[in-house]
Amino acid sequence: MSGVWIISEKRRQSLELLNIGRQLADKMGTHAAALLYHDREHAEDCVSHGADEVMLLPPLAGEEPAESRIPAIAEEAKKGDPDLILLSATPRGKNMAALLAARLNVGLVSSCTQIDYDEGSKTLVMERLAYGGAAVQKVVCSARPAMATIPPRTYETAMPKSGRQGNIRELPSPSSSAIKVIERKVKAKEAKDISEARVVVCVGRGMEKEEDLTIARQLAEAVSGSIGCTRPIAEELHWLPEELCIGLSGIQVKPDLYLGIGVSGQVQHVTGIRNAKVIAAVNKDENAPIFKASDFGIVGDLYDVVPKLISELKK
Amino acid sequence: MPTVIACFKWVIDEAYIRRGPSGDLDFSSVDYKIGEYDRNAIEEAVRLKEASGAKAIAVTVGMPEAAKGVKDALSRGIDEAYFIADSSFGNLDSSQTALILTEVIRSRIEHYDVILCGEGSSDLYAQQVGPRLAEQLGIPCISFVQKLSLAKDQLVAERRVDEGIEVITAPLPALVTVLPDINVPRIPGVKDTLMAGKKPTAKIIKDDLPPLSEPLVRTISLTSSRMERSCERFGTDAAEIARFVGSLRKKGVIG
Repeated sequence: MSGVWIISEKRRQSLELLNIGRQLADKMGTHAAALLYHDREHAEDCVSHGADEVMLLPPLAGEEPAESRIPAIAEEAKKGDPDLILLSATPRGKNMAALLAARLNVGLVSSCTQIDYDEGSKTLVMERLAYGGAAVQKVVCSARPAMATIPPRTYETAMPKSGRQGNIRELPSPSSSAIKVIERKVKAKEAKDISEARVVVCVGRGMEKEEDLTIARQLAEAVSGSIGCTRPIAEELHWLPEELCIGLSGIQVKPDLYLGIGVSGQVQHVTGIRNAKVIAAVNKDENAPIFKASDFGIVGDLYDVVPKLISELKK
Repeated sequence: MPTVIACFKWVIDEAYIRRGPSGDLDFSSVDYKIGEYDRNAIEEAVRLKEASGAKAIAVTVGMPEAAKGVKDALSRGIDEAYFIADSSFGNLDSSQTALILTEVIRSRIEHYDVILCGEGSSDLYAQQVGPRLAEQLGIPCISFVQKLSLAKDQLVAERRVDEGIEVITAPLPALVTVLPDINVPRIPGVKDTLMAGKKPTAKIIKDDLPPLSEPLVRTISLTSSRMERSCERFGTDAAEIARFVGSLRKKGVIG
């Protein structure tokens, strides 16, 4: 047996994984399979988007965590012996991937940004960032199956094709986990999800007071953008919620324009914006690392520059 | 009295990595540190110690130079340390590190209640040592925790998941990986640093361990990540602000 498996619980993420999964399966001359969580409609969707086979996991009892699915998935992986298993690099995807890799005793490439199949050596070569984004690490997995997590939006969603056929089957019920979920708190979404924003205005430590966020909001309004922030603003000062924190350990954004105000440009933060089309920055320190990562930079005090920018933008 | 173990890694401070002439990484002027996220794991161990009278133990696997990191951890309030060192331990993969930690925790630490790890190391950030260690030890793993408390025979943790937060209970012993927002790591004072030298450290060498397993992930290259940006500078007077806004409009990124 062989194949490229994707494991996902969300529609969009499963279709993104199927895009790269299908491409690799074709190159490797094998099939693509999707392992999904109890949604038949979603299963048919995955078939039309490239899955030759869909395995459905039955629903979980109320207080069971996602982890209770690991034994069933590991069992199926041992039977099916896939070449590669892909998951999304979201908190749950990363957790499930690490536990599954540990259970199978195989390698896992986390937050993988590129996967290539070398037909000569028949190996999968994967790329990821290391040292807070300062380095690109190329790796290969030495055990089978290879595993990787891929950040959401690394790949477009797969294109549907009518008339595709696939086999859909149910997997056995999940086992019971030692850990229990006693409460679920769904986060209140900010009005705009910054990972989707075309323009992001990012607030950094150069902002002196919480009240001054107003000028960042005014600037965001003038460019029809969303507000994001660096780690200290969310985690130390708590001026903005942590889901607006951009960087390696936060959100990775891909806007047309990233505009940093008072952002110094630590490498972990820059990693979260490297896929922006244009990076612009305002900072009073001419040696701030953000300028090396920017297309356009204004060396100046944000309290002087931002109001001028707002009035210029309104012209 | 509960026992809490914090695992940490002594890593290259990435802020000092330079880009070499051919896109290679220049490590010639680097400094080292305890990984950012691991500092939160250490702080949380010390916080649990202060809240419940626990004993806080730190464990690290690394090069002999990581002795500095052991002292750093002890100065942050850890009571005792296990230091597993060899000059060949600089490039272990997550599975190898987890197996070494498993062996040492199993054979040397008789009883423990909670093992804390950072959400990932701040150098390679593979985010797997915690889950792999839990799997090897056969204990539950709760990842990405931002709030933690110990009750009788169980822990209660708030962990981050895709949709928000899940409040989890787990029987002890259990392993927890922590997010940076769980606490603010303390900065050790002079007195703490002096005291650290007097605390017990058990040093474990390669010969004390079973033969090393093969890596499951092999690195074939490590190069500087190139950022192709035009780095154009602008001033702050009216003409320059207009030129800046004009540049953004020309790129078609604003209306």
